[in-house]
Amino acid sequence: MTGQSGIRLENVSRSFKGRGATVQALDQVSLDCPAGSFTALIGPSGCGKSTMLRLALGLDHADSGAVSIAGITPMEAARAGMTGVAFQDAALMPWRNVEDNIALPLDVLRKSRRDNAGKIASLIELVGLSGFEKALPGELSGGMRQRVAIARSLVTNPQVLFLDEPFGALDQILRRQMNVELQRIWISSRATTLLVTHGIDEAVFLADRVAVMQSKPGRITRIVDIPLMRPRRPDIFTSAEFHRLEDEIAGALDGH
Amino acid sequence: MAIEAIAARFSTLRNWLVLLVLWEICGRLQVIASGALPAPSSILMRLWIDRADYPPHILATLEGAGAGFLIGNSLAVAAGVLFALFPMAARLGRGVNIALFALPAIAISPLLVLTFSGATPRIILAAIGCYFVTMSSTVTGISQTDARMIDVIRAYGGGRWSILALAQMRSALPAILSGLRIAAPNAVLGSILAEFGGGGRFGLGVYLLGSLGRAEPDRLWGIGLAATLIAGLAYALFSLIAVRFTGATKAVTVPATAPGGEATSWPLWLRLLLSTGSILIPIALWWLLLIAMGTPAMIAKTPVGLFEYLFLLPNSGVSQMKLLAALGQTLPLTIVGMALGIAFAFGLALMSVLRPGIIRGFMPVALVTQTMPLVALTPLLVLMLGRGPSVILWITISVTFFPAFVTMAQGLSMVPRAALDVPRAYGASLFTQLRLVSVPASLPYLFAATRLAVPRALLGVMIAEWLATGTGLGNLLNQSRGYLDYGMIWAVAVVSVLMSVVFYQCVVLIERPVLARRGMHAAQ
Ligand SMILES: Nc1ncnc2c1ncn2[C@@H]1O[C@H](COP(=O)(O)OP(=O)(O)OP(=O)(O)O)[C@@H](O)[C@H]1O
Ligand SMILES: [Mg+2]
Repeated sequence: MTGQSGIRLENVSRSFKGRGATVQALDQVSLDCPAGSFTALIGPSGCGKSTMLRLALGLDHADSGAVSIAGITPMEAARAGMTGVAFQDAALMPWRNVEDNIALPLDVLRKSRRDNAGKIASLIELVGLSGFEKALPGELSGGMRQRVAIARSLVTNPQVLFLDEPFGALDQILRRQMNVELQRIWISSRATTLLVTHGIDEAVFLADRVAVMQSKPGRITRIVDIPLMRPRRPDIFTSAEFHRLEDEIAGALDGH
Repeated sequence: MAIEAIAARFSTLRNWLVLLVLWEICGRLQVIASGALPAPSSILMRLWIDRADYPPHILATLEGAGAGFLIGNSLAVAAGVLFALFPMAARLGRGVNIALFALPAIAISPLLVLTFSGATPRIILAAIGCYFVTMSSTVTGISQTDARMIDVIRAYGGGRWSILALAQMRSALPAILSGLRIAAPNAVLGSILAEFGGGGRFGLGVYLLGSLGRAEPDRLWGIGLAATLIAGLAYALFSLIAVRFTGATKAVTVPATAPGGEATSWPLWLRLLLSTGSILIPIALWWLLLIAMGTPAMIAKTPVGLFEYLFLLPNSGVSQMKLLAALGQTLPLTIVGMALGIAFAFGLALMSVLRPGIIRGFMPVALVTQTMPLVALTPLLVLMLGRGPSVILWITISVTFFPAFVTMAQGLSMVPRAALDVPRAYGASLFTQLRLVSVPASLPYLFAATRLAVPRALLGVMIAEWLATGTGLGNLLNQSRGYLDYGMIWAVAVVSVLMSVVFYQCVVLIERPVLARRGMHAAQ
């Protein structure tokens, strides 16, 4: 699947006309995620990260510029079942239990649930929700709901994966565990991944490249390459090289 | 918790018992309206004596109401889905929708009986009684679907139909069920009103009409109770189903719906075209229907016939004067009655959150006012209140508040848990929570309720005028029926529909900017 599943944003601008004021959420943003790469997107709150993800998913349309996934429009890619997504907000259906929420993309794409029953069970196991298969979202904690959303994003074996702060509501230890799991999944699937995060450590641990954004207007100011070997082990978090990269990104966030 | 629940249930039961005992005493002593309110025991006794009479009447009413309920609601849900998915269809259909809702049942029941035979008039009136409530709550439910869920489906390439099947229909379910809950008593009332129009030997309406002249209030009340029981059972059934579904439909966290709809982006010429279309369609339907049924021209007035009657005939001047004078009496009372009915419904809806126990106790009484045919209640109200404007206002409130209340309470109960958690965390009282969160969050439902109340208020005033005060449009309608003045019947029907449409549009004009300012969508 190399060369077929890259994400491409070219000179994309998007502004919102609110009640009175106009917000320039994205201003001439270009980002090229080659097929099979892992890109992290980091930046201050409100700088347009979620907006960029929505554009790349085809949920929203740019005022100008072009967006494509694997050379076709995001909507076409989505209909072909290539994409997976976990939103910043879990966005679960309150009337579907954990299992059924995870199976939702299969229902949308009209794929058989029975063929994927094993997949769903292993995803529930992966995110540590065994025993909660039949629970409704209202009976779960915030972090548990987020884990359901992560499992849901993986159920279609996506070639292109969008994750919007998927671990935001998890505790530090679970977050590290999930980071390791995500890396494992990514290495075996090589899905082109775009991860929005507020954690510098998470970005460095997972990504090939970290795109740093600034706000007002939202734009990418710096792209930092992460030349660490894979698979990366948890002990890498304390290495000197890791700290150097973290400092570099922190500097870029501060506007240096 | 369990003990509290049992205690609440018990206190509700106790309230009912107290109410019942008071009623018995009043009835026994003939305190109220010198015997127009009989004691429950004598009503029951009378029911027992008449027991052999009831089955055929109940069956006949059930047949009309049931068939109308099925047909009307199926059409309503289908239309609601269509309108929610295609805003243009909604805009075009608005005229027909409001006209159907505002159609005064009393005015058309004699026309229907002359045109159709058998149970058809009952089915039509029952279906019309269901259509608007269910249609509008379907649209409300679908358009209030959490935008985040729609995003998830769209992110996987799901189109309009996937969104409908996987998210919108399910999340509209509680709203649809609450629509059906109101529709059930409406269907019974519709069937009974059609029975008043004549035709057929059986039906609770026929029975009631036959017993009316005999000054036997206990029998009238017995018949009313039978009608209430049917409607109440249907209401309870849908409430039970609704309770099962509402909890699992409530969003856990607060959705941040994107402000601004696409509807406003239509160019002016298109909007004008759609408005014109929505006015012309009901008129065209009216015309086509008359042609299709081949009703004699003397009875069935086409738009042209009506114009001729009102403007071109020698005594058109007299007709115009009569109509305007009646309108002058009806209009102010409608506005006041509407305001009072909505205020009452709002108060009740707040109470249903603040004091659910009291509302549970009150619900059966409220239901009685919906199904207890006004013909049976009106003599009582007249004796209590006289024949002045106050009796009109009371009757108007009683027909207005119920659908508005159910819709508002529905809106208040759908407020997401997380939205209430913030003020609760700061120790806000229930009242503060209502003021800060529940009421603003359910504004679309409050407006939808107001729109529901508008045509019903007019209906209430006209019924009261007909049965109690002998003034205004309601009385004009009744007189014209007596004189076989079909032109005037049609004129009154058309004028009352037009008035409802104007009021309805006024609410829409206020609703749109208010909701837009808060980043909410109007529920159609
Ligand atoms: N639908 C919308 N209507 C109006 N303004 C919007 C809309 N969506 C986003 N914005 C504005 O665009 C800007 C970027 O929003 P976005 O959600 O992309 O931020 P973000 O980088 O994801 O922030 P966070 O890290 O807090 O999630 C913000 O200023 C926001 O106010
Ligand atoms: Mg965001």
